[in-house]
Amino acid sequence: MNSEIKIGGLTLKNPITVASGTAGYGEELSGYMDISKIGAIFTKGLSLEPRKGNAGNRIIETPAGVLNSIGLENVGLEKFLNEKLPFIKKSGAVAIPNIAGHSIEENIELCRILSETDGIDAVELNVSCPNVKQGGIAFGTDLDIFSDLLRKARKVTKCALIVKLSPNVTDVTSFAVAAEREGVDAISAINTFLGMKINTRTRRPHFNNKVAGLSGPAIKPMALRIVYQVCSRVKIPVIGLGGISNFEDILEFLMAGATAISIGTMNMIDPAVSEKMVAELERYMNEEKIESIYEIIGSAQDK
Amino acid sequence: MATLLEKPVTVAKDHYLLKIKADKSGSLPGQFINIKAGEGFDPLLRRPFSIFNAHEDVLDVVIRVIGKGTSLISRMEPGFIDIVGPTGKGFTMENDKNLLLVGGGVGNAPLLYLMRALKENGNRLTYIYCARSSDYIFLEDEYRKYADELIITTDDGSAGIKGFATDVMSHVISDGKFDRVYTCGPDPMMHRVVKLVHENVPVEVSVENYFGCGVGLCVGCTVDTVDGYRRACVDGPVFDGRKILWENMPR
Ligand SMILES: Cc1cc2nc3c(=O)[nH]c(=O)nc-3n(C[C@H](O)[C@H](O)[C@H](O)COP(=O)(O)OP(=O)(O)OC[C@H]3O[C@@H](n4cnc5c(N)ncnc54)[C@H](O)[C@@H]3O)c2cc1C
Ligand SMILES: Cc1cc2nc3c(=O)[nH]c(=O)nc-3n(C[C@H](O)[C@H](O)[C@H](O)COP(=O)(O)O)c2cc1C
Repeated sequence: MNSEIKIGGLTLKNPITVASGTAGYGEELSGYMDISKIGAIFTKGLSLEPRKGNAGNRIIETPAGVLNSIGLENVGLEKFLNEKLPFIKKSGAVAIPNIAGHSIEENIELCRILSETDGIDAVELNVSCPNVKQGGIAFGTDLDIFSDLLRKARKVTKCALIVKLSPNVTDVTSFAVAAEREGVDAISAINTFLGMKINTRTRRPHFNNKVAGLSGPAIKPMALRIVYQVCSRVKIPVIGLGGISNFEDILEFLMAGATAISIGTMNMIDPAVSEKMVAELERYMNEEKIESIYEIIGSAQDK
Repeated sequence: MATLLEKPVTVAKDHYLLKIKADKSGSLPGQFINIKAGEGFDPLLRRPFSIFNAHEDVLDVVIRVIGKGTSLISRMEPGFIDIVGPTGKGFTMENDKNLLLVGGGVGNAPLLYLMRALKENGNRLTYIYCARSSDYIFLEDEYRKYADELIITTDDGSAGIKGFATDVMSHVISDGKFDRVYTCGPDPMMHRVVKLVHENVPVEVSVENYFGCGVGLCVGCTVDTVDGYRRACVDGPVFDGRKILWENMPR
């Protein structure tokens, strides 16, 4: 039985990973599970300098979901390399840093430095951040800016380059196709859907930033649909995520064509859920006599 | 696996006492547990509750029903209960000191466990218990057991002294000399307590802001402090009250 999967030149021991922003820097999870058991840990969105994140309310529950407006609070590159990455490496786990710069230049610089770092074999570019220098619109919602960023990132990135798509566009597949054309190694789909909450007592938006990202089981059918559509248009591996809460969901994403999956919001409810899912996968593959995980990947796609 | 030992018991208006057998012993005053309310996805997030009292692996919590999650928890049947914790940074312990504790509403809950531990360490304890009205006062006898002096205040005067805890506190503070002050309650109350305490006297607060994961993953429960943002769930919930930038607390 082989549950290994490949992303560019990187081999993961299994397709179960934890999503950026919902897994801290691995260390927080390690109190509840063995982080070396899962395929990879996507760490919190990183900037060159430490970022404070948003003031005011940052998180609120919705029916079967969560709205967040953390504002990419993170420790910054230096502390990440000196304090956070060594812990993950020492634990025998795989770290994939999520890059969340606010300009093309910042993203490129992060791609360059991280990809040259020992023990980092893949980086994930988060294009849902505002492009502060060009009017604040997210990189991942304008096809020209998106392609330009990926072209430049590809040139400097010496390890596997993953781009994480935003679902907040009319046609996500056109971004996936552009990403494949620019030579990225894999696609993560998807980031959070934009949503909103209004406080009827104060008669004002709940979040200072007004809008916030929706995640959790509520978004699963939409995320699955997007992953299915993206997988039908590109050949590079896709890491499927959005609302995964149990093993059945994982199978659905794999069958839709995802080579790997990420668990996000559900880590917040059960910090050991990803390790439990690895055990479930093993049991399932044994019971169904599946030799290689690739036997089920994409089985729901038309041939 | 944790077990709810009996049906939640009403201990005051809208307040319930839960007795939970955890799968391991060990907890500190000021720590909390994170309870999953119901099995499905709504409510999705766990709900954090301070430990009211603990005896080996049995944890008591007092919950006040304010919404969907607390309502479901108050109606739970004995048997399996899904909890994470005890976790979080607790209160600083003292020995043989003069101490003041000020609790407001359900914020009195974590201070009982603290008071018991402080009493065992030979401290002299003054406790100001503040509630909206007499209906909301829970388990008063428990507080009487450990407090050398228990002062009750209610907003409407239906029990004890009429007024806010902080009105009474200004008198108590000028009369007695305290080595440390502890408080838990609504943010405006804790802020006023912090301002009333003499600058040489340490004052610890336990914040009860809105939590996301409760284990430090999401950075959703941020508290702004003079040292920068801190996660209430893992860096707290107990903080040095003077370090918190109270005007930046989300409302
Ligand atoms: C460390 C910590 C310890 C706590 N200890 C206790 C305790 O011992 N006993 C107890 O009864 N409660 C305690 N709380 C508060 C308790 O967690 C909340 O009351 C509970 O999560 C509300 O859940 P709900 O589903 O009933 O409310 P919801 O249906 O989610 O919300 C109802 C209303 O209350 C508001 N609300 C929800 N949570 C909070 C909050 N934390 N602060 C302010 N407003 C909120 C919502 O915005 C909404 O308007 C503690 C909180 C923390 C962070
Ligand atoms: C609290 C929180 C913080 C997040 N932070 C990031 C981040 O820093 N970078 C990123 O690419 N995605 C971030 N995400 C998005 C998740 O990685 C994931 O794409 C999304 O939540 C959908 O998956 P889920 O429904 O399983 O949570 C965050 C999500 C949440 C809930």
